[in-house]
Amino acid sequence: MLLTTSVGSLPKPDYLAKARAQARKGELDHKALRRLEEQATREWVQFQDEIGIDIVVDGEQYRGDMVAFFAEQLPGFKQSSLVRSYGNRYYRKPIIADKVRRPRPVTVGWWTFAQSLTSRPVKGMLTGPYTIMDWSFNEYYPSRRATALALAGVIHEEAKDLERAGAQYIQIDEPAISTRLDEIDLAIEALGVVTKGLRAKTITHICYGNFEALAPKLMKLPVDQIDLEFANRKFELFGAFKRLRFTKEVGLGVVDVHSHRLESVEEVADNLRKALAVFKPEQIYPDPDCGLKTRTPQEAKDKLRVIVQATRIVRDELNGARKPSRRPAAVAAARKR
Amino acid sequence: MLTTVVGNFPKVAEAGYGTAVIGAINRWQKQELSDGGLEDVFQDVTRAVIKEQEAAGIDVVTDGQIRWEDLVTPLARRLEGFEINGLERFFDNNVYYRRPILHKTPVRKQPIFLKEYLFARSCTSKPVKAVLPGPYTVVALSEDRYYRNVRPFLRSIAEILNEEARTLAKAGAVMIQFDEPALGFGKPPMKDVVEAINIATTGVQAKTALYLYFGHLDGTLPALRPCRVDLIGVDVVSDPKAITAVRKQKWTKELALGCVDARNTKLESVTELHALFDVVKRVVPKGRLYANPNCGLEFLPHEQARQKLNRLVEAVRRYK
Repeated sequence: MLLTTSVGSLPKPDYLAKARAQARKGELDHKALRRLEEQATREWVQFQDEIGIDIVVDGEQYRGDMVAFFAEQLPGFKQSSLVRSYGNRYYRKPIIADKVRRPRPVTVGWWTFAQSLTSRPVKGMLTGPYTIMDWSFNEYYPSRRATALALAGVIHEEAKDLERAGAQYIQIDEPAISTRLDEIDLAIEALGVVTKGLRAKTITHICYGNFEALAPKLMKLPVDQIDLEFANRKFELFGAFKRLRFTKEVGLGVVDVHSHRLESVEEVADNLRKALAVFKPEQIYPDPDCGLKTRTPQEAKDKLRVIVQATRIVRDELNGARKPSRRPAAVAAARKR
Repeated sequence: MLTTVVGNFPKVAEAGYGTAVIGAINRWQKQELSDGGLEDVFQDVTRAVIKEQEAAGIDVVTDGQIRWEDLVTPLARRLEGFEINGLERFFDNNVYYRRPILHKTPVRKQPIFLKEYLFARSCTSKPVKAVLPGPYTVVALSEDRYYRNVRPFLRSIAEILNEEARTLAKAGAVMIQFDEPALGFGKPPMKDVVEAINIATTGVQAKTALYLYFGHLDGTLPALRPCRVDLIGVDVVSDPKAITAVRKQKWTKELALGCVDARNTKLESVTELHALFDVVKRVVPKGRLYANPNCGLEFLPHEQARQKLNRLVEAVRRYK
């Protein structure tokens, strides 16, 4: 119970960030870049192993953007130039110019590499079809629905291959799912195509949402676990969940990835104790709010350590190995369940 | 039929006027570049996007809103009473803006966009229209911790926009446009919205325009009839039903048809655009029609934005 994990991305060490910039300018060849991506992946997997994260991620050291990465690997997409997403931030929004195909697996090689470095389970990390559709231009498919469903078939094949390779956990991120409330059923339908027939545990991560509008649909999401940002919303979602009959697992974001501030162990432990008043211990997977790639490597490491330490304290309390320091009622109630 | 744009333009053009804005803003944020240094870059890019609109054959141009981070914070940042908060999604786009929070009575101490407008006008002999966020969109995208009531908030923003519009008109702006994308979402309080728009346009010695884009417009259009504006811009791309709503409306104002999709790279054909012109020609005389993209061009990469403008002008020129 209370298995710790991450949402996906981890920051790239300086040497890799530099190497990627050099590779873009053609000053570094593909093989040399790949060696450094492997080195960074190895370092992150070892780090998670050492501090005791239960379900490990490869840290996506070889990805730039979560949609562009797939777009670069899948024929049918073409690269475009810069568009702004906010402030002074730009990205290359992919264009669907033809039927999207998957002649070979996209993530299985990296997953296999990461899994070879640890005895802990490594999560397979995919971007969901609705999000890929919403974050791309479309010049080929006749409608948004046709686009999402076509992409869903492609991502399903990838998920099947991850499962065949041995992945026990497969996360399909859908941060765009709450963009258009009138399309939520389409997003759910497309995600259902991806997860259909999978035996691996399936997870989806959602962020930037209008949670109140999404809440009634949460149980309809065709996954075992829903990962949400709680910390950034000051844990107000606990109140919303109390009113829901929510029986899926929850990836519980307990540290804010948009803030430089390092949460204290006691603060995170306390929020986990509050969570126990809303969820059963075996429902809860403590993790950061979102991918940590926006933090520095040191900040990311510190935040992950805090999660592990806080979870250990609360786990011990639940096992009776440690006397709860605060909020004994919630913990006691959780132990009875 | 005249051609125009809705407002913003890509701030960077890898195969055009370059990406200097990105580095300049980064350096300015780190205080390695002075305000004047940043302004120089903004002016260079503004001049370039105005030249591009001229080259494409656009009749009424804008400054491309190169300095604008989003639709509402350029105004809110320069008013007293607002604090600028965290990122929020900009309607149904994968684009984010910073949400203004209102803490006290909003106050405009001095002209806000006047200098920028005067610079843009000095770059071209074409008419340059000034673009402002509409009162309802400012209110809808802000968090109100002061009035805690839509109507007084709307009225105070409308009064501020009115002062700004009068200033711009006095400075020679031929057309002043209010963008109201928020009217496409949820159930706007239309009576209060109309009142606010009428406050904003009162006594403005220029052509006034109200632009609607994104969301669903079929319910909103009829309710806007009592608005005292000269021109209404309607996005007929985002909602396929909008063109029917336009056709059913009894038009007493000019109409700007948002007919080229500025949120997708797929290039429209001249035939498709002519089909839309055919529909609106029956409800509004050609002399009272404008054609423009459905919204600002900044959602597109620069190359596609340019192609879309060229196609728009081509379609209008070939329309008999």
